[in-house]
Amino acid sequence: MKNRASTHVKPIPKAPTGIGGLDDILEGGLPKGRTTLVGGGPGSGKTILGLEFVYRGALAGEPGVFISFEESAAAVRQNASALGWDLAALEKAGKLALLNPRLPTEVTVSGDFNLKGLLAILDGQVRALRAKRIVIDAVDALTRIYDDPKRERNELYALHHWLDDQQLTAILTAKIGEDAGPSGRHGYLDFMVDCVLRLDQRVAGQVTTRRLRVIKYRGSGFGRNEYPYLIGPGGTTYVPLSMLELMHQPLGGRVSAGQPRLDELLGGGFLRGACILLSGTSGTGKTTLAVSFARAACARGEKVLYLGFEESEAALVSCMLSPGLDLRPALRAKKLRIQAVMPEAVGAEEHLIRAYQIIAEFGPDHMICDAISACRRMGSDQAAFDFLMRLVNTCKQRGITCLLLNQTPGLQETDEITGIGFSSLVDAVLRLRFEEQDGTVHRDLLVMKLRGSKHSHQHHRYRITDHGVEILANGTPGAPEGSPA
Amino acid sequence: MKPRTKGPKTAARAPKATRHRLQLFVAGTEPNSQLARENLKRIIAAHLKDNCELAIVDVLKDFQTALAANVLVTPALVVDAAGTRTIIFGNLTEITKVLAALRLPPGPP
Repeated sequence: MKNRASTHVKPIPKAPTGIGGLDDILEGGLPKGRTTLVGGGPGSGKTILGLEFVYRGALAGEPGVFISFEESAAAVRQNASALGWDLAALEKAGKLALLNPRLPTEVTVSGDFNLKGLLAILDGQVRALRAKRIVIDAVDALTRIYDDPKRERNELYALHHWLDDQQLTAILTAKIGEDAGPSGRHGYLDFMVDCVLRLDQRVAGQVTTRRLRVIKYRGSGFGRNEYPYLIGPGGTTYVPLSMLELMHQPLGGRVSAGQPRLDELLGGGFLRGACILLSGTSGTGKTTLAVSFARAACARGEKVLYLGFEESEAALVSCMLSPGLDLRPALRAKKLRIQAVMPEAVGAEEHLIRAYQIIAEFGPDHMICDAISACRRMGSDQAAFDFLMRLVNTCKQRGITCLLLNQTPGLQETDEITGIGFSSLVDAVLRLRFEEQDGTVHRDLLVMKLRGSKHSHQHHRYRITDHGVEILANGTPGAPEGSPA
Repeated sequence: MKPRTKGPKTAARAPKATRHRLQLFVAGTEPNSQLARENLKRIIAAHLKDNCELAIVDVLKDFQTALAANVLVTPALVVDAAGTRTIIFGNLTEITKVLAALRLPPGPP
């Protein structure tokens, strides 16, 4: 055997942030013993990121110092407790120090000076705690005391050298405008440090979204996309994406579509863990078909999560009584969970993170999303795409079957299948539509795609009865609508 | 404590001279801190005489006092007089600026 290990580049040591999702994006964490710059506009969450870094570090046994030039220690404690973090306890335990020296607003300058005072204060605190982590919040405020950009730069380089000498894993935060990129006066900071993160808050389609981007990371790979994030109870959650795509579970065995005749057309049922798109105009019975599937799964003791963006839980349950699909037993047995929320209610990130939380906690075998067409109302096509892409990815990683319902616009439409445009993730497509023949409207089902399986290529008529969807045997044209029994 | 020529004039303007509490923050013996010590000594001798208390804080030995006083730069002079606090950054070479900040009349260097 050749010794391959010797040819490998040794990865640089990293300090895990412990912040949800961020370590995946950073491939392990921030550069250990080095400095990271977190830039962003007002309200983008820089302070929270820094605070969470020292908080999680302190919990994990790495003491940290947090120094802010803008917020008082009391305000920082209060903000933290709103997120469920008890900083005071960690301070008492000697794991965390909050400093907030206030910069004088009016000061006379007479002759030369430097930041030795600050370094002495930091040095004292770092020694007292044996700190490994440090956050200097609003480093740009600190430089306000200099009128001269060149001196300001020298002082920040001196600060950076000190941080390096102490081998502290450091975060500097700085206010940087929306235009990303190295900006104006503090542009040199990007070049000085080893890792640069940019946080950005923007409004798209009247919905606020927050994004993180890694601009550079010396000596390490990192996720290069923009990652949505959410600040909520418990802290910040970042949503890594593309690095996970290759970790999908293979498709599993067959799982009944909830209707024996449909199983036949599918060559035995859906494939477990597949992503199935159920597309059709309004009234074609997409929800009815999905609910049949859910009810059958729950009856087998499997768990189904129903993400509803169109109607409330109560409305859905009562609607489905008409085609004879009683969901109440499954709900009572806690095999079915209906999560109904208006798409506009929150941003796409929050929808996503809520869905993640439910998936993690409930552990469904199957998930139904009704309907992906409504996801556009989360803000924009892009937001809907991001939401679905990430949701489907998570399901695929966990081997959860996804049934995505898509309401296509017109009666005549034929082309728009996936609508939101991520067909590569879709393993199966079923199209439902109305067809007019001899003055009568029929419902028509077509299996358009079924990855990894043979399937029927024919059009099939079906109807919605008081005991669910019924697919008619071929060659029974013009079968009357209504109950066959 | 030799009386200087301009002494009486100063006294005339401020018959009941305000008492100044001075804290000079320095970082060991680095050049600017040394310079600040010397400059301050001269200013006191020329303008404040006995009418002040001076404490010199070496931040390298006592960071807590610096933290309590929000002093992040050295050298820095913190002056409490007549209920107001004045902060002066730097080695105090521009004496006219220092005197203005202390609300003292301009005098000899």
